[in-house]
Amino acid sequence: MSSDSSEIRDKAIKALRNKEYAVASEIFKTTENQFADNIDFRILKEVTALLLAVKNEIYEIEKNDFIVEEIHTHGQETELRG
Amino acid sequence: MSRLQVLKKLESTLENFLGQAVEPKKTSIEMRNSIDTLDNIAGESLRGRYISNQLTNWLSQNRFFLESDNINESEITKVANFLSNIKSGLDNSDPRSQELIKEIDNWRDKGVIPKRKLILKLKPKTGEKNLLKEFMDIVSRESLYINSGEFDNMHLLSVLDDILKSAELKEDRMFIHLAGSIIYYLKANGYKVDPFVKRLKEIEQKKLRETDVK
Repeated sequence: MSSDSSEIRDKAIKALRNKEYAVASEIFKTTENQFADNIDFRILKEVTALLLAVKNEIYEIEKNDFIVEEIHTHGQETELRG
Repeated sequence: MSRLQVLKKLESTLENFLGQAVEPKKTSIEMRNSIDTLDNIAGESLRGRYISNQLTNWLSQNRFFLESDNINESEITKVANFLSNIKSGLDNSDPRSQELIKEIDNWRDKGVIPKRKLILKLKPKTGEKNLLKEFMDIVSRESLYINSGEFDNMHLLSVLDDILKSAELKEDRMFIHLAGSIIYYLKANGYKVDPFVKRLKEIEQKKLRETDVK
């Protein structure tokens, strides 16, 4: 493993530690070929991708649950309720 | 459980998994096990076995080796020495080995540097006993004693009997040593030496007692 690969790997690990999953995922995607033989790295890549997919799914569900109502009280005040 | 709850649980599980996977800290037991594993890999390498897969896994699993709180200087040196030994056994013409050599060099750059023990040996002090010289002296004196003419035409058993008498009476420990040599020689040539061995032992014990009294 070259020092460049080593640096890239360290960056990806750092991003995961900081819970910057999207950043880590991008690094994994761009360096996929370099780490093709590294099982641990591939597991991290797949789990990160799965986690991002789960987060997206959660976002979609919660977004649909978010209802904005316009309520008129005594015909004067306007309040947004989530 | 709703779909959202399942997803949230999955999210939490995956985050925990990733958190632990990139956690740099290892317990001291895990650290020692890791070092033992590397020791085994180094041993396999010395025996000429193919270790690239094992080494790749080890390097990957121990990428946070230096960041651990449970690692000390001597353990770092151990790992460095193992890696150095493994590196010397890797085939430079093999691309995968070349990658591993680079990785080992990276570890070295990060501070995992092999060290050798420096062992200084002092010559014996001039005042100390020189056992070899003493042994040469005693053998030389024994040879002169046997060749003195006193024992010409005697059987070696008779010579031994005479020497045992001298050993009993005289303080010179050369006679005990000479008697022991002759007994060993006779035994090697098929003679029964038990009575002489018994006499020699008695003489030695008597001499020891006399030394204690003095």
